[in-house]
Parts: sequence; C-alpha cells; structure tokens
Amino acid sequence: MDYTKQIQDIAARLFSEGKIDVFVGYRSTGYDENQVPVIITDAGEVDKLVFNDRSVFNLVNYLKFEQTRNKRVGIVVKGCDSRALNLLLTESQVKRDNLYIIGIACEGVLGEDGRKAQNCLECVMPDAVVYDELLGTPSGKREYVVNADILEIAAKGLTERAAYFEDVFSSCIRCNACRHSCPLCYCAKCCIDQDSSALYNGSNTESSAFHALMTWSLHLAGRCVDCRNCEKACPSHLPLHLLHKQNEMVIYQNFQGHLSGLVPEERGAFYKYSLSDPDDFIM
Amino acid sequence: MSFSTYKTDKAGLQKFYEAIIGACSTYAPVEKFGKYDYQKVAGLAACNPDSPIGNTMSIKPLFFPKSAKILKYKADSSGTEVSETTADPLAEKRVILGVKHCDARGLQVLDHVYKWDFIDTDYETRRNNTIIVSTRCDKAGEQCFCTSLDYDVEKSDAFDVLIVNGDNGTIYVQARTEKGEGFLKEHAGNLAAADGGAEEAMKKQYKSFEDSFRLKMNYEEINGKMKDRYESDEFDKVSANCIGCNTCAFICPTCHCFKISDERIKDEGVRYKSYDSCNNGYFTLMAGGHNPRPVKYRRWRQRAMHKFVYYKERFGVNLCVGCGRCAISCPVNISIFEVVKQVAK
Repeated sequence: MDYTKQIQDIAARLFSEGKIDVFVGYRSTGYDENQVPVIITDAGEVDKLVFNDRSVFNLVNYLKFEQTRNKRVGIVVKGCDSRALNLLLTESQVKRDNLYIIGIACEGVLGEDGRKAQNCLECVMPDAVVYDELLGTPSGKREYVVNADILEIAAKGLTERAAYFEDVFSSCIRCNACRHSCPLCYCAKCCIDQDSSALYNGSNTESSAFHALMTWSLHLAGRCVDCRNCEKACPSHLPLHLLHKQNEMVIYQNFQGHLSGLVPEERGAFYKYSLSDPDDFIM
Repeated sequence: MSFSTYKTDKAGLQKFYEAIIGACSTYAPVEKFGKYDYQKVAGLAACNPDSPIGNTMSIKPLFFPKSAKILKYKADSSGTEVSETTADPLAEKRVILGVKHCDARGLQVLDHVYKWDFIDTDYETRRNNTIIVSTRCDKAGEQCFCTSLDYDVEKSDAFDVLIVNGDNGTIYVQARTEKGEGFLKEHAGNLAAADGGAEEAMKKQYKSFEDSFRLKMNYEEINGKMKDRYESDEFDKVSANCIGCNTCAFICPTCHCFKISDERIKDEGVRYKSYDSCNNGYFTLMAGGHNPRPVKYRRWRQRAMHKFVYYKERFGVNLCVGCGRCAISCPVNISIFEVVKQVAK
C-alpha cells in the first residue's frame, strides 16, 4: 500500500487549480520509518507528502483546528478516518463543500511492533466511506468481531478486573493527550476542563482520572470509530481501547448492530430514537 | 576531591543491587503497560535498572508528583480549620536505581527554581533523603541530545553513584558525591576496588556513547539567537501540527508548572498541587476572561523561550536536559530540539 505519488499529484493539482487552501497529509519523520501529520499551505511543499502502511494518525483530528477552520481543505482518509469524518459531517462540524477528500481503500497500517495493528485486523470497514477520489481497490465491509482483549478481560473475576482498571487509572497522568488526539472530541470547552467541576478539575489523582476517562469514553459511546489515535497518543501506554471497544460491543448488541460513521448522514446510536430500541433496562 | 571507584561484573552488580534493595527503601524502573515507571521495589526480579531510555518515564514524579496533597481543611459556618495531610510518602530515606543521567541532571536544573525566592521544603526533603544511582547509557536513543547541552555528561555530579559498563563484562561503580562515597562505603560489600585501568575504560565507554548521537546542536548559538526571535514567524510553523495536549510538559524531567485545586465533599476538603502545562489553553486564562496566550504559537513560544532563554537568563542553565522524551511521547512527534533549531536558524 503506497500512494505517495498519487497523493502528491492530486495535492499539486488541487493547489494549482485553486481548489484548496490547505492540505492535510503525512510526511516522513526523516529519521525513521514513522510518519507525522503535516499541514501544507503551499504547492511547493507537496513533495513532502507520503502515504503507506506507516500512515497511522487519523488526520480528521486536524479539521477541528484553527489552521483548517473555514478553509478549503484537502485531506487523506483511511477507512476508520472516513467514518470519523462522516460523523463530523453528520454533527455539522465541517462543511462537505469545503473538503476535498482523498479516500484510501486501506490494507491496514502497522503498529509499533511492525505488525499489522490490532484495530486493522478487526476493522469492519477498511475502505473510505466518504471521498471525492478513491485510491486502491475496495475490499468491502467485513463481519464485526468482538475485540479479543474485551473477551479476555470479561473472563476475569470482578476483583481481578477492578484491580486491573485501578492500575490503569492510577497510571494516568491526566495530560489529556487522548482527548486532544480524538477527532470526535471537538467541544469548545470540554466538561473535564470546567473550572468549577469537583469531579474532574484539578488534581491528577486516580479518582479524577477515573471520572475523566469514563466520562470521555461514554461521550464517545456509539461514536468511536476505533482509529486508536488516543491509545497511540497516550504517554503511559494505557489500553484505552478497552473502554471504547466495550461500549462498541454493548451498542452493537443492543442497537440493531449499530456501528458508527458507516453511513453518511446516519445519526449515532445515542442521538436517534427508535420505537424498537430496547427498554427492558428501564425500571 | 577524588572519589572511590570499584569494579565488578554483571552478577556482582546484581548482588550489589539486591543488597541495596534488601537494606534500603528502593525505587527502580518497573514495567507496566509496556513502559517503565519508577516504583518502589521489593526485589530485583520485579524491576529493570537497565530499562531503555526511550521507554522509561523520568524520575520527576518521585520529587514532584503528578498530584500531591498539600493540606486538609474543614470550613463551615463556625470557621475554617486547616491541618496537615498525612505524612509525605516520598519523604523517606530512599535509593533510586537505574536513573538516567539526563533525569538526574533534571533535578539539578529544578533545584534552582525550588530554592529560589521560596524554598519548597517538600521538594528539599525528598531531594536530601535520596541517593541516586545512575547507569550511563551505552548508546544514545533516537531522540537523545544530552551531550549537546550545557552540562558535562561525562563528569556529571548530578547523581551520587555512577555505573558504567566497561569492556568484557567489567562493570565500574564510582562515587560522584560525598553522599555517594559514604553510601558506597556502607554498601560496597561484594565490590572490589578498581585498578588503574578504570578511568581509561570508562573514558572509552563514554567516547563510544558520545559517538552514537544522531542529534547534535550548539546550545550557545541557540541561546544567543533565540533571544531575538520573540516575534519570529517560525513559532507558528513549528507548532502547526501540535494538537495542544499536555504530554510534553507532563513527562518532561524539568517542566515544573503546577496548579492548585480542591477536592471537597460538604464541609471538608483536600487541597492538591498537580501538574499543569503552558501548552494548555486555559493555563493563562485570567479571572476576568482575558487570555494573553489564546493561540497555539504563543504557547509554543513560551515553552521554547522558557527552556532556552528565560530560565538560562535567570538561573544560568537551560531548562532542557536533552532526554528527548517530549519527542518520543508527543502524539505527532514534535521535538523541542527541532523546534529551537528551526526558530534559531
């Protein structure tokens, strides 16, 4: 999977035709095999752009920043990234007319260990679902599988599970990298930043980490697209996908197989009401 | 004055560590979720003093924890009562094994600010009660640049005991401070006094370590040029893809900004001192609503200028030790090295 040449050509064309103001893509770090996001405003810089199985970061995250706000943006999206973009479109956070989307029929990206990332192995939709131009050969939608780590955790006893998560929350340093790297976290003022909040504000203790991370994950329930930007961003290497995948499983099983962002304009599981929604949990 | 040097081998060093762990309250790098963090250990098997620099958090939290209780209070209609919290768990006499040179230097840098106009007694106690045993790296990490900064890594006295891997499995153990000398006298048990070749062997190891750096810079040039770059457009460019989290500051061995906050239930509460960061958009938000650093480039300018200009002017040292952790932990790999190089170009 290497679309470096194609993406450079498209970006150069878009700039020369005056169709975009900025282009959000990947560039090589220059010293190892990894890549970092790059925001290009000048046609002369398009030769920096690369794309291959090291293009990991979900670039949709950059659509919430100043550099792209109210500008015409060219952007590269893989399957999971495009699902996040679909949600931003549904939630009126970006204007479709302002975007030129290069979709990728993704073959999976590599994790830090050089092997295909877990979320790519479990991916339900590797092809971009919203795009102006698609690169690669689509492989189609795949069967939903329950995350292996979730099953492993669920098999443990309550005490053991509690101890495991206590470990997770006590290792959190509250840097908020998870939230900042999440393309779907765009609130102008996040609830965990409220000055007056006794729950989350201030201390970086285990209890505040618990409240912050749980609130964050519940706000993403039915929206998370499993790109794992958060997990890769976490300096403490916390297994944040456990929170999201658990929510995803519960929603999949209880909301008619709902998976977020697959269908353009489709509303998330928690912001649409259907008479057939289960209500047996209401007392 | 010159300090004692001992020599041993791998098994001997392990015995030395075991003896320390047996006799003192000891902290060492413990693996958790695939990275190393300094924690109290009961045996050598649970930790790895040779943990890789690129995957090890700094020792800063043992002196400046991510959240520390500073007082308890009770406030109701009858008045306010303030009391001490429970004893500081980090104040005990302790030893830290497997400290990286850069982290130890980080404490020397922090000492300036903590002993400045106000003496932070918590920090001072933790500092005075700690023996730092530091192993010199054999090879620089991808993001390391400690040898390019304003301290002599080879001759550093930022730690009390130095451990160097010599040729053919010989390991040298050297005291670097009075405190370290005394500590070794007490715990050197199985170590033999080093012979004449020790200095030469340690120099040789340093040379090969020094040659392994990918990143090199001239800090004097950076310090000089950065002074005039306050209005530079480069800050906007280098911070373009910053996502605005606090990771770089929280994992930095020298960043020391904090916030004060309360956790209160009904009439009783605890006041905490916790990490904060200038990269946080709310950091400079004032009570009236004004924010002098509302945009990313201004926050990045503050971060870079504080590290390479303001701190240097005030205390004579750079607020950066070249550990490269910011670049390693940054979700988008922004490195302070690249930033200041670019700005000072």
